[in-house]
Amino acid sequence: MSTTDWLTPLQHILNCQVRFITFSLSDWKGLVQQADTSWAHDDNREKVTEGNRAANNGRTWIVVRVTGNAVEALEIEGELKPAEAELITWTLQWNQAQQQAVKPGTLSESESFALKLSEWIQQQLESEEPSYSIPDHLTAGGKLFAEMIPFLLVTEYTNGKQASYPELEKLLRSFLAEDILLIPLKNQEWLIWGPVSLLKEADSEFMDDEDEETVEDSLSSICHGLHEMLASEWIGECHLAVAHPVCPAKGIVETTVLLRETINLGRKFHVGTSIHLPWMLQLERLLNAIPEVQRSRYLEHALKRTELFVEAEMLATLETFFSLDCNVSETAKKLYIHRNTLLYRLDKLKQETGLDVRQFRDAVLVKIILLLYKVTKRN
Amino acid sequence: MAGVRLEGIYKKYPGSDKASVTDVNLDIKDKEFLVLVGPSGCGKSTTLRMIAGLEEISEGKLYIGDRVVNDVAPKDRDIAMVFQSYALYPHMNVYQNMAFGLKLRKFKKADIDKRVREAAKILDIEHLLDRKPKALSGGQRQRVALGRAIVREPQVFLMDEPLSNLDAKLRGQMRAEISKLTKRLETTTIYVTHDQIEAMTMGDRIVVMKDGFIQQTASPEELYNHPVNIFVAGFIGAPSMNFITGTLTDQGGSLKFKTTGVDVAVPEGKAATLRSKGYVGKEVILGIRPEDLHEEPVFLEASPNTIVNANVEVAENLGHEMYLYLNGIGSDTVIARVDGRSTLRDGSSVKLALDMNKVHMFDKESELNIFEN
Repeated sequence: MSTTDWLTPLQHILNCQVRFITFSLSDWKGLVQQADTSWAHDDNREKVTEGNRAANNGRTWIVVRVTGNAVEALEIEGELKPAEAELITWTLQWNQAQQQAVKPGTLSESESFALKLSEWIQQQLESEEPSYSIPDHLTAGGKLFAEMIPFLLVTEYTNGKQASYPELEKLLRSFLAEDILLIPLKNQEWLIWGPVSLLKEADSEFMDDEDEETVEDSLSSICHGLHEMLASEWIGECHLAVAHPVCPAKGIVETTVLLRETINLGRKFHVGTSIHLPWMLQLERLLNAIPEVQRSRYLEHALKRTELFVEAEMLATLETFFSLDCNVSETAKKLYIHRNTLLYRLDKLKQETGLDVRQFRDAVLVKIILLLYKVTKRN
Repeated sequence: MAGVRLEGIYKKYPGSDKASVTDVNLDIKDKEFLVLVGPSGCGKSTTLRMIAGLEEISEGKLYIGDRVVNDVAPKDRDIAMVFQSYALYPHMNVYQNMAFGLKLRKFKKADIDKRVREAAKILDIEHLLDRKPKALSGGQRQRVALGRAIVREPQVFLMDEPLSNLDAKLRGQMRAEISKLTKRLETTTIYVTHDQIEAMTMGDRIVVMKDGFIQQTASPEELYNHPVNIFVAGFIGAPSMNFITGTLTDQGGSLKFKTTGVDVAVPEGKAATLRSKGYVGKEVILGIRPEDLHEEPVFLEASPNTIVNANVEVAENLGHEMYLYLNGIGSDTVIARVDGRSTLRDGSSVKLALDMNKVHMFDKESELNIFEN
C-alpha cells in the first residue's frame, strides 16, 4: 500500500488534517528540542527512527521513514490521544520491520540489475576519471548495445506521494514497451530507456510524405505523451527530458549528464515548463556558461534603458512573439489581441529601448535580455 | 457523479510573498457546469490544477463528493482532465489512446471496447480509431483528448482552455459540442477559460476571478445584469460596458447625473437608493452597456430626460448590427450598439437616449456597484 493510499483513511480515523512532510535531520532535531512533548524509541532522542514523535502548539509529528539526511514525517493537525499516538507509532515500526525482513527477496531481477547499474553510473558521475563504457557484466547480455531513447524523469513528491520501482516499471511497460530499462538515480530521479521502435510507431500510414516529422519532432511528441500519462495516471506533476537515441552501453554516463543539465537549464530558464528538450536549450546553455558577474552587469545595463522589459504584459507579449518565430499575425491571434495593439506594443518597446524586435539583430538581443532577466531576478 | 467543494483554498508558491490564489470558497453541485473566467494571471488555472492534484494546496480543504482529497494523487481522484496543452500518446492509435487509462485500471476487454466505441460515436470519430495522432487534424485530436476523458466516466471533468488551440470556426463548433456532451453525460464539469463568450454560453454558473480572488460567482444572466463591481461589469460583455464619471445633483426634486455633454435624470427607484446611501453631490461612475444607448425615434420620444448628443468617430457595420464609437459623452469614447440598418456614418452627429433603468452606478473609491452591495 502506498503512502497516498493510507493517508486519507488515517485522516478519516483521526478526523483531522494529516500531511506528509520531509525534514532534514537537523531540522527534525531542532523541532524535537522545541517541542512541548516528544517521544523516541528507547528514549534515545539522538537516534531518529520510525515512530519517533513530537508535539507542539496543537500539532503532532511522527517519523515515517528516515533515509540518509531526510526525515519523512506525518504532520497531524491536532493533539493525539496517547493510545492513538502509540498505535500509529507501533504500526509504523511494525511496517518498517516487515519491509526490512522481506526486502532482499522481494527485489525483482530487473530492479536488482537497475540498482547495480545505478550504483555504477553514480560512481562514474562522481569520479574524476569516469569510464564511459559500461563493464561487460552490466550490459544485460548485450541488450544495452542496441540504440535506445533516453528520458530523465524528476518527480517532486509532496504530501507523501511515493513511487515504487515495480509500480513505475509496470506503468512504463504498459505505456512504452515491454523492453524498457528503468534505472533509479538520485532520490526522485529516474533514467528511462525506451526502444527506438517508438519513433517508427508514432508514424502513420495516413500521412503524406511532405508531412514527415523530424526525429526531434517525434521525440518531442513522445516526451509530451509520456509526461501527460505520468501526470494523469501516476503521481502528478513531474519534469521530463529526452535526448536523441544512443547506445546505452557506450553513452549512458554522458547521456545522464546531458539530461540532468537539460532539466536544470529548463527549470532555471523556463519556470513552469515541465518538458525539457536539449536541442531547444542551446542559447540557455551558452548563457549559463557566462560568469554570473558578467551576466548581471549586462542585464543591469540593459534594464537601465527601460523598466518596460520587466512589465508582465510586455514579457508575455515578447515570449509569445519569439515562440511564434516573430510572426505578428500569429502572435496577435495567440494573445487574443488586435494586430494593431501588438504593433503598438512593439513600437513602444522600440521607442523606449531603441530595439525593434521585428529586426533579427534586435530580436536576438531582446531574447538574451529576457533569458538573463529570468535567471537573475531571483538571485 | 459528485460535487466539488473548495473551503478556504490558498496557493502560495515558495519564495513568493503574495498568494496566487486567496481564500477560494466554492460549492460546485453535482452535474453542474462551472466556468472559471478571468484575465491571465488571475489564478483560475492554478485553482483548477489544485483540484486536479497537479498543484499542492497551501491551505484549505478540497472535497470531491464527501472525501477530502488534498493528499490524494491525481490518478486516485476520479477526475478526468483535458488541458490546453493536452498531448495524445503518439505511438498509439486513437483506440489505444482512449483505452489506455481503462487498461491500467484493469477493466475487462469487452468493457473497454464498449466504452471506447460509445465515446467515439458520441464524438464522431469512429472512422478514425485506427489512426495515429500524427494523421489527425487539430479538431480531431481535440476530440480524441475529450474521448480519453469521457471513457473514464469520472466523477468530475476538469478542462483548462481546451479549445484555445483551435481556429475560430472549430472553437464555435466544439463549444456547442462540449456543452451538449456534458449535459448528456451529466458529469460535474469545471471549465477554465479567458474567453467570456465561452463562459457565458457554456456555464450554469460563472466564477469571475482577478488577482487570485473571486470577484463574483453567479449565473451568466446574473453576472451580466447585476455585476457586483466595475471589474466584473467591464469583463463580462462585448463590447464592454461604458464607464462615465460624473456627479449626482438634486435639481428641482429629481436626481441628475451630470458630466461633460451629459445631463440626464436618474429614475426614481435608483435615485432613492442613491439618496439613502448618501451619494447626492458626490462623484460616481455610471456604467451603461452599448445596447442601452438608443437612437430609435420612438425611444428618444419616450425618454426626453435622458438624451445626449454625440459625434460618431467610427461606425463599424457588422451587417446585423453596428458599433458606434462616440465622443462627446463624458471624457472617454463611448460605444453604442445600434441596428445594422442605421444610416449613421463616420463623422455624423447623433442624438441618443440612455436607458437609465438599465444603468449601474459604481462607488468611485471602492468600485463596488452601489445597487448590488
